[in-house]
Amino acid sequence: MNLFQSITSALDNSLAKDPTAVIFGEDVAFGGVFRCTVGLRDKYGKDRVFNTPLCEQGIVGFGIGIAVTGATAIAEIQFADYIFPAFDQIVNEAAKYRYRSGDLFNCGSLTIRAPWGCVGHGALYHSQSPEAFFAHCPGIKVVVPRSPFQAKGLLLSCIEDKNPCIFFEPKILYRAAVEQVPVEPYNIPLSQAEVIQEGSDITLVAWGTQVHVVREVASMAKEKLGVSCEVIDLRTILPWDVDTVCKEECFLNLEAPISRVCGYDTPFPHIFEPFYIPDKWKCYDALRKMINY
Amino acid sequence: MAVAIAAGWAWRPSRGLGQAALLLLRRPGARGLATSHSHRQQQQQFSSPGDKPQFPGASAEFIDRLEFIQPNVISGIPIYRVMDRQGQIINPSEDPHLPQEKVLKLYKSMTLLNTMDRILYESQRQGRISFYMTNYGEEGTHVGSAAALDNTDLVFGQYREAGVLMYRDYPLELFMAQCYGNVNDLGKGRQMPVHYGCKERHFVTISSPLATQIPQAVGAAYAAKRANANRVVICYFGEGAASEGDAHAGFNFAATLECPIIFFCRNNGYAISTPTSEQYRGDGIAARGPGYGIMSIRVDGNDVFAVYNATKEARRRAVAENQPFLIEAMTYRIGHHSTSDDSSAYRSVDEVSYWDKQDHPISRLRHYLQNRGWWDEEQEKAWRKQSRKKVMEAFEQAERKPKPNPSLLFSDVYQEMPAQLRKQQESLARHLQTYGEHYPMDHFEK
Repeated sequence: MNLFQSITSALDNSLAKDPTAVIFGEDVAFGGVFRCTVGLRDKYGKDRVFNTPLCEQGIVGFGIGIAVTGATAIAEIQFADYIFPAFDQIVNEAAKYRYRSGDLFNCGSLTIRAPWGCVGHGALYHSQSPEAFFAHCPGIKVVVPRSPFQAKGLLLSCIEDKNPCIFFEPKILYRAAVEQVPVEPYNIPLSQAEVIQEGSDITLVAWGTQVHVVREVASMAKEKLGVSCEVIDLRTILPWDVDTVCKEECFLNLEAPISRVCGYDTPFPHIFEPFYIPDKWKCYDALRKMINY
Repeated sequence: MAVAIAAGWAWRPSRGLGQAALLLLRRPGARGLATSHSHRQQQQQFSSPGDKPQFPGASAEFIDRLEFIQPNVISGIPIYRVMDRQGQIINPSEDPHLPQEKVLKLYKSMTLLNTMDRILYESQRQGRISFYMTNYGEEGTHVGSAAALDNTDLVFGQYREAGVLMYRDYPLELFMAQCYGNVNDLGKGRQMPVHYGCKERHFVTISSPLATQIPQAVGAAYAAKRANANRVVICYFGEGAASEGDAHAGFNFAATLECPIIFFCRNNGYAISTPTSEQYRGDGIAARGPGYGIMSIRVDGNDVFAVYNATKEARRRAVAENQPFLIEAMTYRIGHHSTSDDSSAYRSVDEVSYWDKQDHPISRLRHYLQNRGWWDEEQEKAWRKQSRKKVMEAFEQAERKPKPNPSLLFSDVYQEMPAQLRKQQESLARHLQTYGEHYPMDHFEK
C-alpha cells in the first residue's frame, strides 16, 4: 500500500471495530483531496463519513464535542497549514479538558489528522510542518509517521489512545512511499522513538519525511567519511521519548554541540524550495562539521 | 407556505415581522430541494433557460429591480412573554399550568442562588476566595430553561448559568468547594471559581475561553443523534460571546449536520463594559438564526414561564426533528461582570436600579406565586432565613476544609501520567522537603 492507502486501511479498521467512530472534515465524503477516505462513506454510511462546512475551528470544536460524549471522532484538517484557526480549540480546550475538569470530562477519543510537510511546490500554505507549535502543549499527543507501515500502526494507536491526538501525514509520501502493510489492524506504540539504524559515532534524529533524508546522509557518511551513524525516528513529538534519544546522559558525553538542520527562519517559499529545505547535502555538511569539531 | 412567507419577509424593506414570533424556515430536506450531494437533481431540462434560476447555491426567483434588503432593527423580532411584570398571565392559552411544587422549585432555586451569590461575592471582597461572578437578574433564564429539559440533557455553559446546576440540585457544598478549591472540589482545584462541572448532572465543566463550547455542544448533539439517545444538548452563551467565530461555526454546523441542539443566548445588555450597541449592529442574536436556516425565537428572559415554554417546545422539536433551535433570552445583568469589575465606571446606578426594582425575574415569579395564593410574606421571611442559614453553613464548612494535596497538580494531564511528568512530580516533592517552609503547606492536605 502507499501512504494514503495505509491511512484508508487504518480508518476502515477503526470504523469496522468501533460503531461510534465517525470521520468528518472538508471534502472527506467523496474520498478526500488526498484520497485518504475513498470508499468509506459508501461502506459505513453518510452519518459516519461526512463533510463539514469549511471551518477548521468548527471541525475541531465539533470533534471535541463528539469525543466528550465518549464517541470516537476522527477529524481531518485539509492541510496542516490550515490548522491555526483551530489552535484555540486544540490548545485551550482539547488539551486541557481532562485536567481542568478534574477528570470528570475528557475528549480522549478525538484524533485530528492533517497532511503535513513540503511537497515540492506547496509554498507558504501547502508545505508547513507546524508540530513545533503544539510541542509544548501538555494534554495532547503529536505524531508524525515516516512510512505507510508506520502510519497505519501509529494512526490506529492515536485513534485508540485515550488522549486527544494530532496525526500529521507527510503528503509528499502519500503516493511516493509504498511498502507491505497488513490489512488487519495493528498498533505501533506512541511516545516510543525507533532506532532504525545502529551506529557509534553520531546520532541523527528526525521524523516524517526527513527520516529518509538522514538515512541517506548516514550512508553518505559511511561511504565518504567512514563515520558510523545512529538514526532515530522520533515518531511521537509529544510526549517524546527522552530516554531513547538521550540514552547516554547527553551533556557531559557530547563531543560536539548538538546541531539542528532545518528550514530557514522565513515562511516556506515557492520557487526557492530546493534551497530552503534541509536536504541531504546540508545534513551531510553539518555531520561533517560535527565530526571535525 | 413557509417558503413563501420567508421569501416575502426577506424582500419587504423596513417592515417588521408582524405577529409571528417563530421564523418559519423549513429545513432543505423538507422543502424537497437538492441537498449538498445532489445538485444534479436541481438542474432541470434546459429547454427554457431564461425562466428559472439553476444555481445550486440558492433557491430563489429572479428579480429585475435593483433593491438592497434593509436590515430591520427599528422593529425587530418580537419578544415572547407569558407574564407581565406583576406576575399576571397575559394570554391564558400560553400559561404552562405548572404545578405548585414545580413553580416553588423554580422560585427557591432562583432565590437560593441569589443568596449564595451575595455571600460568595462578599467572601471574595474579604479575601476568602480569589474571584466570583454573580448571576443577578438572569436567574430566570437559568431555571426557566433547566425546568424544561430532561435531567439527562447535556448542558454546555459559558459561566453565568449556575442556576441550571442549582435547579438540578447541585449541592451548595460543591458550589463552595469549587470556589474555594478545597478537597471536596470535583474539579480538584484546577480552575478559578465559578468554573463548575458535574458529570452526574450532565453539566460540562465550564472553561474561560468564550464561545468555545458552542461547536463542542453541536458535536455532542450529533453524537446523541447517532446514538438515538433521545437527548437534547443545550448550549448557553452571552450576546458578547456570540460575536466569536466559534458561534458562527457552531450555528452553521448544527444546521448543516441536523443536530438536536438548543442554542440559548443570554442577552443581558453588556459584555463587561461593552454595551450591545458596540457588540452588534443587527437585530440581536435571534435574527442571525434564520441566516443559518435555524428556527429562532426571542423571549423575555425575566419571565420564567416564557423561557420555560420556549425551551420546552424547542426541546420537543429539536429531538423529534433533529434540527437546531435558537432562543435569545432578553435580560439584564444587574451585577458587575465579576469581582474584578466595577460597572459604575460605564453605566448609571439608576439604570441598574431600574432593572433590579422594576423587572426582576424573582419578583415577577413571587407576584405570580402570591397571586395564586401559593406564597406569602411569612413564607418569604422564613425561606430567606432558611436559605441564608443553609448557605452560611455550607460556606463555613468550605472555609475549614483543606486544599487538595499538591501532588494533584500533576494528574489528569493525560489519562496516564507520562514518565517525564512523574519525574517533575517527584522533583516538587523533594523541593518541598527542603523549602517547604516557604510554601502554604498548612492549607493543603498532606
